[in-house]
Amino acid sequence: MEVKIAPQMSLMDKLKILADAAKYDVSCSSSGSSRKNDGTGIGNTVAAGLCHSFGADGRCISLLKILFTNECIYDCRYCINRRSNDVPRASFTPDEVCNLTMEFYRRNYIEGLFLSSGILYSPDYTMELICEAVHKLRTVHRFQGYIHVKAIPGADPLLIQRAGYLADRMSVNLEMATAEGLREMAPNKHRKTILKPMRQIQNGIEENKNELTLYKHAPHFCEAGQSTQMVVGALPESDYQVMSVAESLYEKFSLKRVYYSAFVNVNEDKQLPAITAGPPLLREHRLYQADWLLRFYGFKVDELLTKERPNFNMAIDPKADWAVRHLEVFPVEINRADYRLLLRVPGIGVKSARRIITARRFGSLTFDDLKKMGVVLKRALYFITCSGRMMYPTKLDETYIVQNLTYQNQMGKGERLPFLMDGTPYRQMSLFDEGQMLDDTGNFVNVCSSKTTGDSRITDNSVITRDSRITDNSVITGDSRITGNSVITGDSRITGNSMITGDSKTEGVLYTA
Amino acid sequence: MEEKYIICEDSLEGIFTAIYDAYALREGHEHLHVQVGETDNYRLFATYLHSRPDSGKTEKVVRTLKERLGEHVYGSICRAASSDGADKGDAVYHTVVDGITGGHGERTMDNLRNPYVARAFALARRTANEVHHELEFIRFQELKQGVLYSRIGPENNVMPFVMPHFADRLSPEDFMIHDENRGLFGVHPARGEWYLVSGVEQGTAGLQEAIQYSDQEMEYQELFTIFHKTIAIRERHNRRLQQQMLPLRFQDYMVEFLQK
Repeated sequence: MEVKIAPQMSLMDKLKILADAAKYDVSCSSSGSSRKNDGTGIGNTVAAGLCHSFGADGRCISLLKILFTNECIYDCRYCINRRSNDVPRASFTPDEVCNLTMEFYRRNYIEGLFLSSGILYSPDYTMELICEAVHKLRTVHRFQGYIHVKAIPGADPLLIQRAGYLADRMSVNLEMATAEGLREMAPNKHRKTILKPMRQIQNGIEENKNELTLYKHAPHFCEAGQSTQMVVGALPESDYQVMSVAESLYEKFSLKRVYYSAFVNVNEDKQLPAITAGPPLLREHRLYQADWLLRFYGFKVDELLTKERPNFNMAIDPKADWAVRHLEVFPVEINRADYRLLLRVPGIGVKSARRIITARRFGSLTFDDLKKMGVVLKRALYFITCSGRMMYPTKLDETYIVQNLTYQNQMGKGERLPFLMDGTPYRQMSLFDEGQMLDDTGNFVNVCSSKTTGDSRITDNSVITRDSRITDNSVITGDSRITGNSVITGDSRITGNSMITGDSKTEGVLYTA
Repeated sequence: MEEKYIICEDSLEGIFTAIYDAYALREGHEHLHVQVGETDNYRLFATYLHSRPDSGKTEKVVRTLKERLGEHVYGSICRAASSDGADKGDAVYHTVVDGITGGHGERTMDNLRNPYVARAFALARRTANEVHHELEFIRFQELKQGVLYSRIGPENNVMPFVMPHFADRLSPEDFMIHDENRGLFGVHPARGEWYLVSGVEQGTAGLQEAIQYSDQEMEYQELFTIFHKTIAIRERHNRRLQQQMLPLRFQDYMVEFLQK
């Protein structure tokens, strides 16, 4: 067998090709492992992980993420390195991998190495190459930083075990949420061969824990656990399917993380969907949000999605979506609710829930205290009371709350999304779009040449300008500013530090400080 | 009653000495304030006292804090006192008073209803966040002599918290971190103990020009810059997200953003 490598390729060219080939692997975390330096070489690991830089796509760069080689005997339809693609090929030598890692690490560019590979000749051959490089890094260079390696499905279990004792984290990619999908997309891969090493690593970690309780200095096996990733958007699978798979991976395979990768069409294969609007980033974002709900907020997939409602609401996040469909639980009293219930409130996260629990031992909390603790009140205010009072008079009504939450989105100041609602990367939105922003019921906050009628409520630093008309029982509170030739009539109430300027006319209005 | 201000030096020692002096006055804490650095806006009907940093007093305060409030709270107080908040002296002082008189012990920082504690908590978090960022974003450059050298420009005084991390991680290396905003150097000799050097601003004028990189240095800077550029997925480009995660003020010191 002849090795098909261009002989005189510079390190720079190799790095370019093999980093480019590795970039679709999502995992870049360096967390979960905590190790001090033992004095024989450089490196340690930090439990929380460190992100050393951020790329132009906003993704973190924590590890030197490279393929050992992008030669591959497989022909997976979604993969840039598939056998039938005519792309430049390259391979590192183990020494090159070691030197790059050590020199980058010394300069604090990276937290460690993420080594994956195309399948060169056979899974066994490839896994052995990976083991050799990592072994050299650990023993010759005494590198004690973070190492993440791929377990190659189909490789000898002994090789996978050897890699596990050298690495902090291992991963096997599930690729597709369904077994049929995998068969269709990756004719050389099978669900069974992917799950086998996954199970082996899980058992290895479990046994290693027992060993470590007996012998304190026993070698660690995948201290930071294992992870996997799924491509979403290449096949018509539903969010419910994807999340159910993730849930069972967490429960049955004790995975540390499941990653979701919005499908990017790199091959223009005719069996793959043409994605003109860019990768489905919003969907990926919602999946990650739900993933966090599973891992840290005590949610089950069946609470979030059902067979009848198999996909996430793109307009609001999964937690708010759950909340508005379970209004019987709300409002939650901040000074009395238990931790699990606090976590269910939109706008309250793990940290702020913990702070609430510890701080309320000293006395009852107010909305002001919550704000200082990091509770996002503009989301939480519909769902909570402090000592029996709500922050503003609001309705506990599904449509009303959804409108208010999504309206903030339209204003560009609600849920902070890293991109626009249609999933395309962010563009600056104009705050003062002309025209009416009225809905059927009239319960709406308003800007610009619009009419507000009915029982409207204008709260919280709203700005209303130009020729607006506000009539009938409206309530205006907070530090609102109303300018231009606005007309305010009816039994409206204006409170707080609101400012009304310009040639505005007000009739029958009740002002209070 | 008349308000009293104790003016102290901007350092851990300065603030802790001021806390000692405040307790030594035995006048109750309600009308007492600790202020870091001179003020240019003196208040009428207030008395201003000056406190000079004293290692003996500092030691006593540190011992009391560790005993009565625990290591964890002591750590938070040190971080708050190292922040750049102008009101940090008062926040730290009254947090200590609240913790000790209220007997809150290890739970002192949980009493977020107290505005001073909430402020000290926020300041400590500010420092801790910046420390975490510097652990991630510091870039070492190899000099001719084999020493790793890094410049930083942090808002808070992060050096005492950054050094232990790198001293462990890079224990066989000689390295030096230079805080340009404070004229402060953190120095670590290979396999030795790290220490801080300050007050050498005058000597650093020609420093940048005197620095000579090792032969390999530019090659690795270029390799990392290429890696940084290549690893981003074109279809997902999102500069706004990048800037949100990695604020511009750090980018000025990072090799991958310098070569365009």
